[in-house]
Amino acid sequence: MIGYENDTSVLHGAHPYTPLALAGAVFCLVFAARSPEHVGALLAVAVLLAVLAGALGQALRAALAIALPTIVLLLVLHGLLGPAPYSFVGPFLISDSGFERAVVLGGRITTVLVATVAVLRSVSPARLVDAMTDRGVPFSVTYLLVSTLTLVPRMRQRAAGILEAQQCRGLRLGGSPFARLAALRPLTLPLILGALMEVDEQVLALDSRGVGRSPRRTALDPPADTEFEWLLRWMCLVVVVAAWTARAREWLL
Amino acid sequence: MVRLGVAINLVIGQLAAALLLPLFLDAVGTILVASLVGWRAALVTGLTAQVLAAVLSGNFAWLPFAVVQVVIALYASLAARAGALRSYWTAVPAGLLLGFIAGSTAAPIAYYVFGGATAGGVTVVTTALRALGLPLQASVYISSLSTDLLDKTISFALVCMVLRTLPRHLAARFPALAR
Repeated sequence: MIGYENDTSVLHGAHPYTPLALAGAVFCLVFAARSPEHVGALLAVAVLLAVLAGALGQALRAALAIALPTIVLLLVLHGLLGPAPYSFVGPFLISDSGFERAVVLGGRITTVLVATVAVLRSVSPARLVDAMTDRGVPFSVTYLLVSTLTLVPRMRQRAAGILEAQQCRGLRLGGSPFARLAALRPLTLPLILGALMEVDEQVLALDSRGVGRSPRRTALDPPADTEFEWLLRWMCLVVVVAAWTARAREWLL
Repeated sequence: MVRLGVAINLVIGQLAAALLLPLFLDAVGTILVASLVGWRAALVTGLTAQVLAAVLSGNFAWLPFAVVQVVIALYASLAARAGALRSYWTAVPAGLLLGFIAGSTAAPIAYYVFGGATAGGVTVVTTALRALGLPLQASVYISSLSTDLLDKTISFALVCMVLRTLPRHLAARFPALAR
């Protein structure tokens, strides 16, 4: 799991909305880009974001672990098994158009991955919640995002516990596909029913404390925002709208 | 309920992986919330789960598949209202139909946005079919459909099992269940 790390990088000091806007813009632009040159330029922007977040090493590791296998599959699907004409690249006969497509698609995935790592490392969930509260985002939304992130590791632990408990009672994880399918019942049922009962208790606790009744909450220490960052975020939006308008015109004409 | 549904979507695949089953089971929470609460909550569950899955894996490239979660949320709430989740005899065919719809929705995204290279197992099937001489579009569609048919049928059967074993005092908390 790639998560927030305390640091003093440029993106760590920025308003939480700014890295999110930058990464969001890169995400939208890379799906609008069609040539290897444009995707390459956006990959360079994503790498710059990773440098600004002090996360270049993490971004490269994530790219190697997640993007590289996909790129290899893309090269097989489109390069080796793509349409004619072909050219020799070393010992391999590679489709020209297929190779270009694989480069564009693989570049997109890598770009998104690198930009995501930069954001995840530099945006503190606590500061993001403060920023959202300060901008009037309803408590239910911030509660949903933050509490779910804390619930998931607990549920994972519980799932692992159930797995071990059922194995102690004699549940076999191997065997035929049907036997393994049948083993899903004693594993999933306690997990879901247990979680449902827990939610039932939590709803009562939250209701009794009047959560969600207050129309607007006040953030104790909202992150500072600057005019430059505000302008940068709006510029991201303008560039994305312009790129997708140009792409839509290409489709229509 | 939404956060429970999201957590189930994100965690239950871990159990399928432990059993070495080629299933994602990433929509069980969405289907459960659709049947217990309704389509709006299921929609929020599906979309939040997709975003958080991206956050937890660090790969936002899979976000376009959020469309599939929208389709699942709407279909599951309609199926639940029609009573399809009351018995296995109706849940299994309803799950099969959802598999067909979800697979048909995911295939164009996998083809146009990712060029057919998505999750490892699915892409291996796509590559094998492509190597057998099938066109790429057909290979992506067949591999996407085959995984979704199995995955969504089992997801529907699982939710049906949960609803049938739900304690009475808990079931009473969900008016949508009584409809």
